[in-house]
Amino acid sequence: MTVSSDQHIEGKRDVTFRVFRLNPQVDSKPYFDDYTIPVERGITVLRALNYIKENIDASVSYRVFCQAGICGSCGMRINGISKLACTTQVWDELPKCREAGIIRIEPLRNLPLLKDLIVDMDPLVGKMKHYSNWVVSTMEESEMGRKEFLVSEEEFSRYDKATDCILCASCVSECSILRANKEYVSPAVLLKSHRMNVDSRDGLHDVRLAELVQDHGVWDCTHCYRCQETCVKSIPIMDAIHGIREDAIESRGMKDTAGAKHAEAFMSDIEKKGKLVEATLPFRTNGVAWTVKNLLPMAVKMILKRRTPPPPPLVKASKGMKKFREEFREMSEHVKEDHKTHKK
Amino acid sequence: MKPFDIIIVGGGGAGLYAAMEAMKTNPSLNIAVLSKVYPNRSHTSAAQGGANAALANTAKDDSVDLHIFDTIKGSDYLADQDAVEVLCSEAPKIIRELDNIGTPWSRLDDKTIAQRPFGGAGRPRCCYCADKTGHTILQTLYEQCLKKGVVFFNEYFALSLSVRGSQSKGLIAMDIKTGKIEAFSARTVIFATGGYAKMYWNRSSNAAGNSGDGQAICYRAGLPLKDMEFVQFHPTGLRKSGLLVTEGARGEGGYLLNSQGERFMSRYAPEKMELGPRDLVSRSIETEILQGRGFDSPAGKYVHLDLTHLGADLIKSRLPQIREMSMYFEGVDPIEEPIPVRPTAHYSMGGIDTDNEGRTVMQGVYAAGECACVSVHGANRLGGNSLLDILVFGRIVGRTAAEEARSFEPGNISEAELKEHSEEIRSYMQPSGHYERYGALREELGQTLGLNVGIYREAPLIRKGIEDIEALRERFKKVRVFDSSDVFNTNLQQVLELRNMLDLSETVAAGALAREESRGSHTRTDFPTRDDGKWHKHTLATLVDGRLELGEKPVTMGRHELQERTY
Repeated sequence: MTVSSDQHIEGKRDVTFRVFRLNPQVDSKPYFDDYTIPVERGITVLRALNYIKENIDASVSYRVFCQAGICGSCGMRINGISKLACTTQVWDELPKCREAGIIRIEPLRNLPLLKDLIVDMDPLVGKMKHYSNWVVSTMEESEMGRKEFLVSEEEFSRYDKATDCILCASCVSECSILRANKEYVSPAVLLKSHRMNVDSRDGLHDVRLAELVQDHGVWDCTHCYRCQETCVKSIPIMDAIHGIREDAIESRGMKDTAGAKHAEAFMSDIEKKGKLVEATLPFRTNGVAWTVKNLLPMAVKMILKRRTPPPPPLVKASKGMKKFREEFREMSEHVKEDHKTHKK
Repeated sequence: MKPFDIIIVGGGGAGLYAAMEAMKTNPSLNIAVLSKVYPNRSHTSAAQGGANAALANTAKDDSVDLHIFDTIKGSDYLADQDAVEVLCSEAPKIIRELDNIGTPWSRLDDKTIAQRPFGGAGRPRCCYCADKTGHTILQTLYEQCLKKGVVFFNEYFALSLSVRGSQSKGLIAMDIKTGKIEAFSARTVIFATGGYAKMYWNRSSNAAGNSGDGQAICYRAGLPLKDMEFVQFHPTGLRKSGLLVTEGARGEGGYLLNSQGERFMSRYAPEKMELGPRDLVSRSIETEILQGRGFDSPAGKYVHLDLTHLGADLIKSRLPQIREMSMYFEGVDPIEEPIPVRPTAHYSMGGIDTDNEGRTVMQGVYAAGECACVSVHGANRLGGNSLLDILVFGRIVGRTAAEEARSFEPGNISEAELKEHSEEIRSYMQPSGHYERYGALREELGQTLGLNVGIYREAPLIRKGIEDIEALRERFKKVRVFDSSDVFNTNLQQVLELRNMLDLSETVAAGALAREESRGSHTRTDFPTRDDGKWHKHTLATLVDGRLELGEKPVTMGRHELQERTY
């Protein structure tokens, strides 16, 4: 399936789009179709897909709406990375191709596939509902419209960037936790949850936070930073995730959940030895009973394969521990001060 | 499916506000929103600039009366003055209400909602959230609808009203996910489907789906469409794609420059300069280009929107989206270089004829937002009044329908009616000898509209446009859908949208030919002045026995007498 340009003039060349295909009505498994078309410099991947759809194969299916990077419809994986087709230049993708001149186009991951490049967004909406991703106003409904809340520029700046989110689900697609656990809250939902939690007009903070610290919640993130790296709006999503965790420890205490205890164990190990004492980490995070019940079989296997971490007495403090400890304490003080000024 | 009390077609600002307000008015009602996209994708999200309201936060001497006057003058006196009064007096309340439920408005030093100057407004009264105002409003409304438990039918394509006598029985729609034609029996139907300016295609700032589905459905059901000839060209669309650079860019101090480096607006609006009303600025740019003072490029002629003197900090903090878009779609960083722009079809003032509460002439059918024509914008909409319109009238229509729903009986939609639609759809997929391609028809429609029914219009050109449209409608009968799948047949959807655009383009051209005067966005070179004696009235386009008939309706006047409109 090729529409070839006659000559390779400057700024124009043939590009092959290797497009993921699956029509659940007829196909038992997915396959790829190659479409080779002439592309000018300055053309976006979405416009290339439009060209393919209008001139070669009308059955190629994907979502398209604003074509201007604001509606979030055309999220898809381009050369393996989740992004918006409408704001991605074909020319920029060419150096990233695994096979020269062939751009791979695949649907987003971690959401159910419906057809070709279209995935089901309902699970994401379901999670937005589950984690109350809305402001519950502290104002009585009968009072609304009469006066405005007073909001400082400083407070506005706390959620300004988060409200850039267009729910394109690129972060959802890239999230390494979601690949293992589809019930995981999702980066976008954490971002939105935190945006609500730092809004002084909202009155649901405690309830929302209580839900966020449960299983599949904020403590499941492993800090891989994929969400933030690929966010099409360059939103610092990890700041929100860290923000929720700090907030949870501050409002609910260090002993609240396994997640908080895990963080505390990390902190104390680093402070004492500059490294982790892994052997006792599960006990300190989840308690003795849980660890024995859930991790004993794995521990036995690890012993047999000689892959166990060293016992605590053998974990020696890192070199230069004294200086490190000083710096560590200084940093902790800074964080505390920052928190205080933030509160004001 | 159980009959609905209210079916809302469209999940943008007007539709979502209507849903929220209807649930608030009567929580026992069975309400649903049906949308061809996930509601948070709706085109409301593209509105960058802001929403006008006389909060008097920035300019202490602003007032609702001044807002009313600016709007009526901006409309070239074609707006209905009672409707404008509703729009402007409800404005402060609705902006505060949005604040109360979480909209992240930008703020002033005194912590109140910030306001900036906008075209055609006598005071800085445009409330905004950086340059993502529509997006944040849409998110807020969607969040609140999820909170309230609004029922959504996402990715359903509305096909037609089911009508018995003078009353609607409900809606027929296709589930895009399965291709199934479904009946939504309902006491009331609210249309909130947005505008029709995408018919100008490449010279339009609109989303691909802004095909005027609601207007076309109503038109085919015999409802009158009002003032369809009025299509607003936004002065600053990006040269290549038609995508929009918000008026906020000029509000923040951007200059328009021609190829001789002149701030040419001094010739056309010496006082307001770049912040003159949209129709005037668009015509000024078009004139500069026509008289040879534009820049030339393979993608068309254009002028410069220069922000470089504003500085990197201001551009980054106040106009981040504009910067992103110029870089993505034109390869230009506005901090360093001027942005290439030209006028782009942006907004449809015309739409489904409604009263001030959103009622149409058909019992049980309502409309609000850009798909409706109340009319608050008359011949030309002011920047910052469209978000306001969808919010104010979205809320009003939600309340009205909620109060009136139980006075109508839902009818049964017969299997035969559904079958008609499935057969029509199947006919597009049936291979026949000679066939037409969707893309070619759509391209030609956009071209003929841009050339013949664009910014400057005159009788011979419009007649040519009408002939072209008729020929395209004829060719459309042989259009072929090449995807035979029932699941997510986006090719079929494109064809159905093209049908709507073709039906509506005829009403735009007919209105343009009939209105022998120049008013607001409608500029006839053969009738260059406003003719209040003959044309101070609305046009109505109605489909009668398969033929377009043009009627008229008087303009409701009020405190403001007709005046010449100068800036």
